[in-house]
Amino acid sequence: MDPTANPPAREYAPGDPIIRFRDVYKAFGRNVIYTGLDLDVFAGETITVIGGSGEGKSVLLKCLIGLLKADSGSITAFGHEVTRLEERDLQQIRLRIGMLFQGAALFDSLTVRDNIAYPLVEHSWKDPALIDERVGEVLELVGLPGVEKMMPADLSGGMKKRVGLARAIAIHPEVILYDEPTTGLDPSNVKRINRLIRDMQDKLQVTSIVVTHDMASAFDISDRFAMLYDKKIVWAGRTEDVHDADVEVVKNFIAGNIGTA
Amino acid sequence: MGAPLPEGPFKLAPPLVFAPAELARAIGERLVGFLSWLGAVSMLTGRCVVSARHRFELGLTVSQMYYIGIQSFSITFLTAAFVGMIMTLQFQWGLERFGAALYAGKLVSLSFVMELGPTLTAVLVGGRVGAGITAELGSMAVTEQIDAIRALGADPVGKLVVPRVVAATLSMPVLVMIANVVGITGAMIINTTAVGITPRFFMDQVVTTVDVSELMHGVIKSFFFGYFIGIIGCNGGLNIRGGTVGVGSGTTRTVVTTSITILIGDFFLTKVLLPFT
Repeated sequence: MDPTANPPAREYAPGDPIIRFRDVYKAFGRNVIYTGLDLDVFAGETITVIGGSGEGKSVLLKCLIGLLKADSGSITAFGHEVTRLEERDLQQIRLRIGMLFQGAALFDSLTVRDNIAYPLVEHSWKDPALIDERVGEVLELVGLPGVEKMMPADLSGGMKKRVGLARAIAIHPEVILYDEPTTGLDPSNVKRINRLIRDMQDKLQVTSIVVTHDMASAFDISDRFAMLYDKKIVWAGRTEDVHDADVEVVKNFIAGNIGTA
Repeated sequence: MGAPLPEGPFKLAPPLVFAPAELARAIGERLVGFLSWLGAVSMLTGRCVVSARHRFELGLTVSQMYYIGIQSFSITFLTAAFVGMIMTLQFQWGLERFGAALYAGKLVSLSFVMELGPTLTAVLVGGRVGAGITAELGSMAVTEQIDAIRALGADPVGKLVVPRVVAATLSMPVLVMIANVVGITGAMIINTTAVGITPRFFMDQVVTTVDVSELMHGVIKSFFFGYFIGIIGCNGGLNIRGGTVGVGSGTTRTVVTTSITILIGDFFLTKVLLPFT
């Protein structure tokens, strides 16, 4: 397969379940994070996982791409059981799932161009001209043309997130994970990031999993919500149904009665 | 019972009570901690071997050799020069009682190439380089950059650890050779000015005293010291938790652990290598 080719044809239709969490348990020592977590993610949707700080929202994303191992239960992505894959096999899954980290996690010692080129070089893009072309394309997509030579330290918080997003989409992922994409940004940058998340879905037809406790953003971008509370998903449903959810904690969270601090 | 002590700005330490159970538990915890650390370092070494066989990052290794080797040159030069001069002063002072101050060069050169050159260089470079590696990787760990490397489909061990460990292992013998030359030159300057011997006489003593096997004794040890510095620094950095506070304490721990490992390792390496010297 030519790694520089356009994204390969997808073997599922919009609306098919492509990611499943089943009865997932996870603990860090005595700190139990999940006790039987279940969640389905469907192709083409943007699902937002909400919940208070420390509920394990980011852990969910890291377990999905194998950065953390679930203690038990099943996590499948594109039909592959992630929990049983070795590190080398996980790289095939990670090729299909991009992630925007909470602090963008740009490599300090590399320029913006080299940050974005990083996954391309790792996945056998050899021609520097093609790499430069792709870097330019994704920077255009996130609205930051011409910043290739800048260092991460020279970028504002919002720009870092957008470069992080450009890096995540460089390799044509089918799923994008957003870990607190709007945390620490000013309102105009929050709007810009939310629009980008929507744009990614519209232009690239990707599936998005967003983790946040920013409810305004969540309503702005989500097709579905999942509420993480008390070590499991207590409610999942369409955005328009969330106000009518029959689970008290969901209503309280939406109303701001469960702390996010 | 005497009168109670007056209250002052300093609190009295609680009385020391010998509690065998607590002592045993503390020793046990330390032992478990040490074995876990040893296991982690061994596993990281294994992962380095697997990763390097899969893909070796030559460019990153060369740039690490610049940082670890070339940029450690000044600290190596200064340390070796002054230690060589100090040792000569000390030996001259001691040997003068026996009328043998002329022969200080023999003692200085032998002890320098076999022991002081490798060990001192390793401890000093280890402090500088080991702390730097831990701080760098630790900062990457707490800002999720190491997670990002994995998420982007790359291997952090191959990208970060192997280049540093290989660079430290290969740079240290070169630094030690430089330290030997500089240290012996420093000794020669002091010996010739203080005792009045010629540089040629001094160098004759060095050449007739130090043979290749003694030189190699120090050089072989320095390969191991370089490996200790690289692997301990990387292991410390990768396992940092707790934000910037964690980076600070992890860096301190690396400096201490590296120095102690070099000294303990030196004892065992000397024991193994001496019969072949």
